[in-house]
Amino acid sequence: MERHNVSISGAGKITGGEYGDVRIAGSGRVEGDVTAEELCISGSGRVQGNAKAREITVSGSAKFAGRVEADVLETSGSCGIDGDAEVKEFRCSGSQRVGGKLRAHYVRASGSLQVGQDVEADVFTASGKFEIGGLLSADRVEVKLVGNSRAREIGGERIEVHTGSGFSLGINLAGLRLGRFATGSLTAETIEGDEVDLEATAAQIVRGKNVRIGPGCEIGTVEYSQSLQVHEEATVRNRVKV
Amino acid sequence: MDEELIAKKDVLELTGISYGQLYRWKRKGLIPEAWFIRRSTVTGQETFFPKEKILARIAQIRSLKEERSLDELAQILAPEAAPVGARWDDPTALAPIGKAGKSLLWKEGGYTFPELVALACGAQALRVGVRPAEAKLLVDLVREEEELLRSPTGVVVVLGEKAVNLEGLSLRLTLGVLGREPLVLDRESRVKHRVDLEKVVEQVKLALGEVR
Repeated sequence: MERHNVSISGAGKITGGEYGDVRIAGSGRVEGDVTAEELCISGSGRVQGNAKAREITVSGSAKFAGRVEADVLETSGSCGIDGDAEVKEFRCSGSQRVGGKLRAHYVRASGSLQVGQDVEADVFTASGKFEIGGLLSADRVEVKLVGNSRAREIGGERIEVHTGSGFSLGINLAGLRLGRFATGSLTAETIEGDEVDLEATAAQIVRGKNVRIGPGCEIGTVEYSQSLQVHEEATVRNRVKV
Repeated sequence: MDEELIAKKDVLELTGISYGQLYRWKRKGLIPEAWFIRRSTVTGQETFFPKEKILARIAQIRSLKEERSLDELAQILAPEAAPVGARWDDPTALAPIGKAGKSLLWKEGGYTFPELVALACGAQALRVGVRPAEAKLLVDLVREEEELLRSPTGVVVVLGEKAVNLEGLSLRLTLGVLGREPLVLDRESRVKHRVDLEKVVEQVKLALGEVR
């Protein structure tokens, strides 16, 4: 069966179904579940069901009422997904919200990312602000702090959290040194990894093999099995070698 | 039945696996979500596991990892990855059912996955000396429970026995019960045979993986 391409460039709506490429450049609505090769929303778009495509790009404002499945999901405007998102490659540089769970091979978040439940990835890199309601789990978690981020739990092989270069707010206030809030911070209940390297992080428990607690950290308990380094500008209440 | 729990860090120490491996296996579904039990302790939140299950699972993953990829393992071990739709003609070729299960077969091939699990429950009971009529109770209880087999953690199938004395006539009644732990029977009844459904599901999946 041949799949047709559709495009909405003024205001309009299409019914759900299987398409080739779907382009929404004005204001458009997809009524029902949609399967497409490419789904491209550059104006304001709304999918009132589940969306599945090889590639989904959002550069305006988009809302997905159901779950989203794609090989590549790239959002740079404002994008809200009410359900789960299951993608291979996920890049967001605008404001992104996922109501459910986010599963991906690769996550690159540079704007603001908000996820209601767990985030699972092979590699998770963030240089923006994120808020994760559940567990952030990845082989590699690399965070460059910008705003005040939080996750309930973080776990994986290698976890690195560094304060950003601070080209916006940070550099202006660098002379004033407003503590960890000047260049961003991370808050989590527990952080567990084999190699853990943290800065400006507040956590109740950090567990790991080799742990480095950098400046600006406030940690309740660190449990480590091989090595622990604590920076002089960090607070660690309990240190336990296991 | 209270299971003995083990803290996550003790699992790591005991088995020598890393946090990276543990979280990776969790993401792949090799370790069921239901096994992660979060508890508050003096030091804050800590995760515990059912000890016997997690140690057995880690040993299993390690021994299978040599010959299969993690994704293949997930197919076998993840509870939600029950093979749907496929049918098997010769259940007795599967080790958990085997020749003992021959007397429980009720059709000429075309057994679905839940039916295979049901047969395995029955065959296991026969092997420990449960009477065939009672083993059939187990089979009947399980064979339609496709939905349940996707999350079998904590589900048990039990043969209970109740002794009744009626004017000098003593009867023993057997009944089959399908439920979740903890299962409570009245004081005059006893558990005659107990099947941990999660274990049987796993055994059947592994056996299917070997046949294919």
